Amino acid sequence: MSQSIKLSSLFLCLCLTSIAGARTAADEPKPKPENTISVKLAEPVPAQKFEPAPKFSITDVTDRSGNPQPMVVFKDRGGLFLDRQPTAILREAIDDSLKSANLRADDPGSADLTVRLYLFHFGLAQGSGLDFFSKVEFSAMVKNPKTGESQEVKATGTAIARGAVRKKNIQKNVEENLQEALKDATRNFLRGVQLKEAINSLWKAPDASPVASGMVDSKTANTGNHQ
Amino acid sequence: MRMWMAVLCVCLMSLAGTARAKESKAEFKTVEAKHFKEAEGVELSPAFSDYFYAELRNELTKAKLASEIVGEGEAVDDADAATSGVISGTITEYKKGSVVKSALIGFGAGLRSLKMDADVVRRSDSENLCVLHVHIRIDPRWNEKIMAKAAARQMVNEMKKALKERKAA
Repeated sequence: MSQSIKLSSLFLCLCLTSIAGARTAADEPKPKPENTISVKLAEPVPAQKFEPAPKFSITDVTDRSGNPQPMVVFKDRGGLFLDRQPTAILREAIDDSLKSANLRADDPGSADLTVRLYLFHFGLAQGSGLDFFSKVEFSAMVKNPKTGESQEVKATGTAIARGAVRKKNIQKNVEENLQEALKDATRNFLRGVQLKEAINSLWKAPDASPVASGMVDSKTANTGNHQ
Repeated sequence: MRMWMAVLCVCLMSLAGTARAKESKAEFKTVEAKHFKEAEGVELSPAFSDYFYAELRNELTKAKLASEIVGEGEAVDDADAATSGVISGTITEYKKGSVVKSALIGFGAGLRSLKMDADVVRRSDSENLCVLHVHIRIDPRWNEKIMAKAAARQMVNEMKKALKERKAA
């Protein structure tokens, strides 16, 4: 008799565990077209002016956030997902801005300076609970491929948006907020004093132009003739 | 009727004129907000600093004190440096507060408290434009980010007031 009670209680426990597991799996949000947002810069961020300007190339973007689900922005209310990996979004934002400022090398081999990006945070951060607080934080390793020297440049972007109750409004506010943070971080990198200092220390413009050297050559030749 | 129409047109035009004057009346061309330092003994979460920085920039944008709010460490054109400001400061004191004291005693006892000092300097010559002192007290059960929000709002209000007084003097 006691054996049958033990068996039935064990069976009951197994049933409860399986039900709990199934409910947890059902609560886990899944990416669908209606809960996926697209984060990208509305327009390229204007970079600071460099005289003369070097050409950059982005070699790689590494995710160092340690987030096991980098594409999940918001877990509650059915979840909110990014349409691409945050590394791809960041790469596109910086690449487009460099291109619009005519600072991007056409092919990676011809770049004066290479940039390797390390992404530390992309998405919502802990806010007051009354609003949405987005943060984009990354670090760039600017390297001169000829000399092998490199320097680190840090950039952060933050944005605060109003909170929302309706799912549709949450989606809209989070999307705008993330775009603002991405724009802020890109701007912080491209207009930062750190980038300027890195360029000044790592790269020197070739000073002798072919026309000038040609003139020197002809002068030398003339002097030679006179002698 | 024509007379009235003419008067209405003049009124509208004068209103439009004042609106334009208000838009272009920003105190600074750019303002750079910096992350506030924490004095020894101040134990706030690392996220507080970032949140306060974001909130301060948000409040500065809302207050329309500058045409542009630039991020920390961003370069500003030399031509704009004389009309640009930099705001930096220190969190001098933070008291966590006590929920028990607040509930049992009341009358302001056990409240969470935050003190901050900030300086607004001109970018070109580092001339001190105003010194700000902010003291915030909130219920100890509230999130510290709400305290950051209140502190940022009060700081911008103090800044507005101080700059107004300076202008008047």
